[in-house]
Amino acid sequence: MVRPERVAGGPFDDEPAGSVGLDEVPEGVVLAVSGALDLALAPRLQRTVERAARLRPALLVIDLTGVTFLASAGMAELVRANRQLRGEVPVRVVATGRLVLRPLELTRLTDELAIHPTLADALAAG
Amino acid sequence: MSVGTSGTDGVGPETDALWVALTTVFTAPDGRPVPVERRALTPAELAGLHREDGEVVLVPDDAQLAALLPGATAALVVLDGDGTHDGDGSGDPAAAAVALVARAPVGRSHLLAAEAVGAATGGLRRAVGALRTEAAVIDALHSVGRRLTAQLDIDRIVQEATDAATTAVGAAFGAFFYNLVNQFGESYTLYTLSGVPREAFARFPMPRNTEVFAPTFDGRGTVRSDDITADPRFGRNAPYHGMPEGHLPVRSYLAVSVISPTSGEVLGGFFFGHPERGRFTGRHEYVAEGIAGYSAIALDNARLYERERNFARELSRSMLPEAPAVPGLELVTRYLPAATGPKIGGDWFDVIRLEPGTVSGTASGTASDRESGATAFVIGDVVGHGVTAATVMGQVRTAIRSYALLGLPPSEVLRHVSALLGSVAGSTFVTCFYAVLMPDDGLVYANAGHLPALLLRADGSIEQLGEAMAQPLGVGATFPERTAEFRRGDDLFLYTDGLVESRSRDVTQGLEWLLEALAELPRPLTGEACDGLVERLTGGTHDDDVALISVYRTGEAG
Repeated sequence: MVRPERVAGGPFDDEPAGSVGLDEVPEGVVLAVSGALDLALAPRLQRTVERAARLRPALLVIDLTGVTFLASAGMAELVRANRQLRGEVPVRVVATGRLVLRPLELTRLTDELAIHPTLADALAAG
Repeated sequence: MSVGTSGTDGVGPETDALWVALTTVFTAPDGRPVPVERRALTPAELAGLHREDGEVVLVPDDAQLAALLPGATAALVVLDGDGTHDGDGSGDPAAAAVALVARAPVGRSHLLAAEAVGAATGGLRRAVGALRTEAAVIDALHSVGRRLTAQLDIDRIVQEATDAATTAVGAAFGAFFYNLVNQFGESYTLYTLSGVPREAFARFPMPRNTEVFAPTFDGRGTVRSDDITADPRFGRNAPYHGMPEGHLPVRSYLAVSVISPTSGEVLGGFFFGHPERGRFTGRHEYVAEGIAGYSAIALDNARLYERERNFARELSRSMLPEAPAVPGLELVTRYLPAATGPKIGGDWFDVIRLEPGTVSGTASGTASDRESGATAFVIGDVVGHGVTAATVMGQVRTAIRSYALLGLPPSEVLRHVSALLGSVAGSTFVTCFYAVLMPDDGLVYANAGHLPALLLRADGSIEQLGEAMAQPLGVGATFPERTAEFRRGDDLFLYTDGLVESRSRDVTQGLEWLLEALAELPRPLTGEACDGLVERLTGGTHDDDVALISVYRTGEAG
């Protein structure tokens, strides 16, 4: 079941150019992020991670396959999720293509995050 | 809105009961009941009958009866719904009607019954009508309020508010005068108009604090007058003693203050006029005050937002240093707050002259730096925006400065600051490139997740320094150091991500464009060249901060 976060938007916030969906699968919870994961969307990812954590999943996968722009605010949320859930829920990140991988490489977050090329791979990895 | 349509034939139960009751009121002159048939009337048929708001039962006169129901001796027309006019004849349920028709000779009992129904329900119907009007006013007020308070653009707020209020109070024209404070803290007044072109007022001065206007500008309550020219306060102030020549004629006058709910300050005032007397009622006053209240909230929001934005910008600017003059170096530094959007604050640069002999350097530290001193260059970016990012930036900048002045080598400076950040703020994430130019041409640098620095060689080639060396501050724990030669005639170029990436251009593409653009620029890089570069790469609409440092090593000895 996909439950996308409410699309807020308005003059009080920068309009997010993306979305975060929460999907419960047998292996755990998948957060599918699409569009620009920047300052406007990062708070929504944070809220969705917190919602996902309350479901106490066996695994949390943050799927960035649909992300078209990964800004540092988005990467900070990935790090936050990873550190916040450390020891409780394994967090895996699906990232492919230079739009998403290059920023992660430049910041060496590839060392910190468990990165997988596909969702299937992230769900299957032991 | 139509009253209950749940009964049979799509009419309300009350109407149904009325039909049944009225069917029995037709009697022959001798008192015996006569048969009555029901016939639904079309909206067109109904339109031919005279009726007033609130009437439920109509009695067609002889001519109407003959035209509508040939052969009938008498009829009563029962209206469904609220009995209000269905103005456009669209046949909505409010206009549904049934004729109860008798074809035998009848007496007057049905007329008495109709009168009785009219007497019994007239007041109620009128009350419903009035309440309905009231509800419409509240609906309108609510929707205006929602629209007004959902935006932050002052120009739009005031125009929408003026239009909405002028329409709602039925004014011939309305004006909204509002006060703003400019960047120097001086107050000035602007106005919007509705119902008249701006030229109609262009020749007149701003309204002054005359006896008529003062209560509104002073926030002393609403002024409503059936004829302002008859008001004792009217015409008492020079030079016009009334309205200036050529002013639109105003008799009915209504003025409402707009008062900030947070500060109690009068933000402005609505003024409504009409050339006829007695046009504004207590209801209009109520509505105007409602819209004024919403406008005050909206203007407050807009002003607070603007203040926050400016505050973040000023804070960021105030914490940025003037680059010191360094012998042997020509420095260009820039901090450009986001041109659009709320993402101000967080980028910074710094240039620090280190005392001779302080920098030990794990990779350098020769005798010569004790004589002439070294210079540190810092560029960084705190994730986030606004006052929070700006204050974190201020702390990080100070921390880096402090460790730098202690003479710690780049890797140690970044390690300490990263540890500091990790303990201070939960998930702050700061990228930073830190480089020290030693007097012996050696450049020692470390990079905490920041974009690579660019070394533009005198021969035109460009080297990228420090790509992907370490994680950002607050995340990483170790920050390796590297060295490069920064020779005379070279330019060192440091920048933040606002220059190279945005939603529409990823960092790989942005870096390529930056390299291409830099390669075409005349050397050494000048301030104008750097401004042109920003303009070219961001199209002048960067929605993120941009900070940069360009360092040229002149030919002269330092």
